[in-house]
Amino acid sequence: MDDGAQVLFAFADGVERSVTVKSNETILDAGLAADLPLLFQCKSGSCSSCIAKLIEGETRQAAGHTTLLRSEYEAGLRLLCQCEAVGNCRLELGYDSEAGSVRATKAKAFVDEVEKIASNVVRLRLELAADNWVDFRSGQFFQLTVPGVGAIRSYSPATTPRELPMLEFLIRLLPGGVMSQWLTDQATPDDIIDIEGAFGAFFLREKVRAPHILIAGGTGLAPMLSIVDELRAQSGRKPPVLLSFGCTDPDALFGLDAIKLRQQWMPGLTARISVDNGATGDLLSGNPVDAVLAEDVSDPNTVAYLCGPSRMIDAAFARLEALGVNPDNIFAEQFVSSSETGSNP
Amino acid sequence: MSDGETSIVRRREVRGTGDAQAARVNDSGLQSQYQPYKDAAWGFINHWYPALFSEELPDDAVEGIQICGIPIVLRRVDGKIFALKDQCVHRGVRLSAKPTCFTKDSISCWYHGFTFDLNDGKLSTIVANPDDPLIGTTGLTTYPVEEVAGMIFVFVREDDYPLDDVPPVSEDLPFRFPENSERFPHPLWPAAPSVLDEHAVTKGMHRTGFGDWRIACENGFDNAHILVHKDNSIVNALNWTLPLGILPTAEDCIEVIEDDDAPKGMMQWLFTDKWAPVLENEKLGLKVEGVNGRFYRTSVVLPGVLMVENWPEEHVVQYEWYVPITNDTHEYWEVLVKICPTEEDRKAYDYRYKTFYKPLALNGFNDCDIYAREAMQDFYADGSGWDDEQLVSTDVSPITWRKLASRWNRGIAKAPRGVEGKIPTTSLRMRRTAEGVPPGYKVQKIEE
Repeated sequence: MDDGAQVLFAFADGVERSVTVKSNETILDAGLAADLPLLFQCKSGSCSSCIAKLIEGETRQAAGHTTLLRSEYEAGLRLLCQCEAVGNCRLELGYDSEAGSVRATKAKAFVDEVEKIASNVVRLRLELAADNWVDFRSGQFFQLTVPGVGAIRSYSPATTPRELPMLEFLIRLLPGGVMSQWLTDQATPDDIIDIEGAFGAFFLREKVRAPHILIAGGTGLAPMLSIVDELRAQSGRKPPVLLSFGCTDPDALFGLDAIKLRQQWMPGLTARISVDNGATGDLLSGNPVDAVLAEDVSDPNTVAYLCGPSRMIDAAFARLEALGVNPDNIFAEQFVSSSETGSNP
Repeated sequence: MSDGETSIVRRREVRGTGDAQAARVNDSGLQSQYQPYKDAAWGFINHWYPALFSEELPDDAVEGIQICGIPIVLRRVDGKIFALKDQCVHRGVRLSAKPTCFTKDSISCWYHGFTFDLNDGKLSTIVANPDDPLIGTTGLTTYPVEEVAGMIFVFVREDDYPLDDVPPVSEDLPFRFPENSERFPHPLWPAAPSVLDEHAVTKGMHRTGFGDWRIACENGFDNAHILVHKDNSIVNALNWTLPLGILPTAEDCIEVIEDDDAPKGMMQWLFTDKWAPVLENEKLGLKVEGVNGRFYRTSVVLPGVLMVENWPEEHVVQYEWYVPITNDTHEYWEVLVKICPTEEDRKAYDYRYKTFYKPLALNGFNDCDIYAREAMQDFYADGSGWDDEQLVSTDVSPITWRKLASRWNRGIAKAPRGVEGKIPTTSLRMRRTAEGVPPGYKVQKIEE
């Protein structure tokens, strides 16, 4: 007979909920069965949406893989979809108990505009169809079904919920990618596309007064633009914001006008644009992680949001920690191309 | 096509992307620079606005007003003024419609007796449910108040705007002189007084304007609108001869002021070589000779406060506010400031106000601005005017203002919920209008 273990979830807003987890089920499944507002998406150890921090007790790795770094695992981080409870434990969640209330919904959207804005980036503007609606928080992502193919790809809007029913995505073109092919060869205004969302635990924590550092690589800029706009709309004095954005070379850059506009609208926004190769003018030579300097972390409560390829995320984590940012205040979203893992390009 | 697919429809006609790339100054690139301003139909929130003249709120009085779509009730107790959201948490009744106060530190809703603490807005009791569990758990937003030189200012904030972040009222008032005299010299007139100066006395009026607050605001410093004033009594009585208009001649014809912890706004370098009067239009056979008028200078600061220095006479300054009530009404404030250290000075100023400033300037001259603004309103009422207007070089003034306002506003008021004017055509509003009470600024009190 399996009595199971008692697992206590502590949400960021102080709400605590407890569930019984049987020995043959994952903590995530048990939590969802009990209707807890847990964030998750892939359920296969890739997307990190279901990340939590183990404070007390012990867990066991279920079958399957995890994208957690060894250092993260040792720091207590766990992916709930890959964890079973060995005994009673206590897990801390980095989001409040309302966050999961943004339930994923399915919707139909019309293509408004498809525009190539850099050597390998397309901007896709959508408008939700009549009687269709979705909800999201800045930073979260949607799954788009490639029309005619059925494959699913994940992208974060560059717009905020205030712009709904309009949604804007910045999509990296991958040679041979099915979404890329649809965008370059077929997509035209008034096409209908299926979307579902929102997903993900990467979203702006509201009303944080400390300085914000946003580091974006490539199309990782999209959720950052949404976050910048959300910060601008926030009530009260705005925190200082540093946006560090980088691409491989000048041809691959995009969104610079959008960044410039936001700098005009937001006196507290600093932007640094880096390219690995061929920097000229105001462009910095190097990557967006190196562009973050020691003096940018003068406040111990600084928060950071990272979005880009996993190499960049790892480097940014290391650098920010070295500069004194509390790891609990660093939020990251890895952009992994579908050719690598099959999710979240 | 399957049945399921035929039901997928667009939610509306998609607006054309427009052709704002033409010869006009405000192409789509420039328009996007002031997009936040285009979004501010309900005004800029988290700013100080004039609410009432002091004399409109004597001790123990209660008045209801609406600013940026927020109903606000003001009560004065032993000289001190309190401001709360004028919308009972229970069923949304405006407390000010039939003021009911049982104690000095509270105000009660006259309908079901919900009673709010004046200091913190908390629901402190309910007249006939003194033990209800709701008590103490909810309340009304409070608004900081300052009284300056006979005017009551209220900091109109979002419910969650922290009180610790409220700046001093001086940050939302016009530039001051003489401390800015070196930066903005005024060789042709004396230093303008300020409402914050010692012995400052304000005189003026406020009335409801029927249109978008932005249209009204831009009129005040629009240098191309001299034309509308050419037949005004004050112009003829004082034998002024106005130019046809004035044109910018330099890139720096307007200076944007973005100092820390100080008003954000712009100063126009009028009556310098950065602006040139236009005296002739050959095609129309128009020629102006012997230009002779007042030297004046206009500046504007967030959230939309005009200052006209040296107007209507020396040692007097005119301030104007265009306080958003709804997205198509605003309270138009015309206020003159003069330093009057003695009772005699006050009397003389009062007499001059009644016999000259009010009839010829605030009414005669500015009435003309009001009908000019109303004439623009229909073009902008559905929002399309902001996209379709075709601006020219003189419009550097409104364009500069829009850009700086987009940058320095402390928040864009959202379309409100459940307040008067949100739905412009309620039967109640139409009935009142038919009875001779048009939509306005102050609450309509219940009379028994």
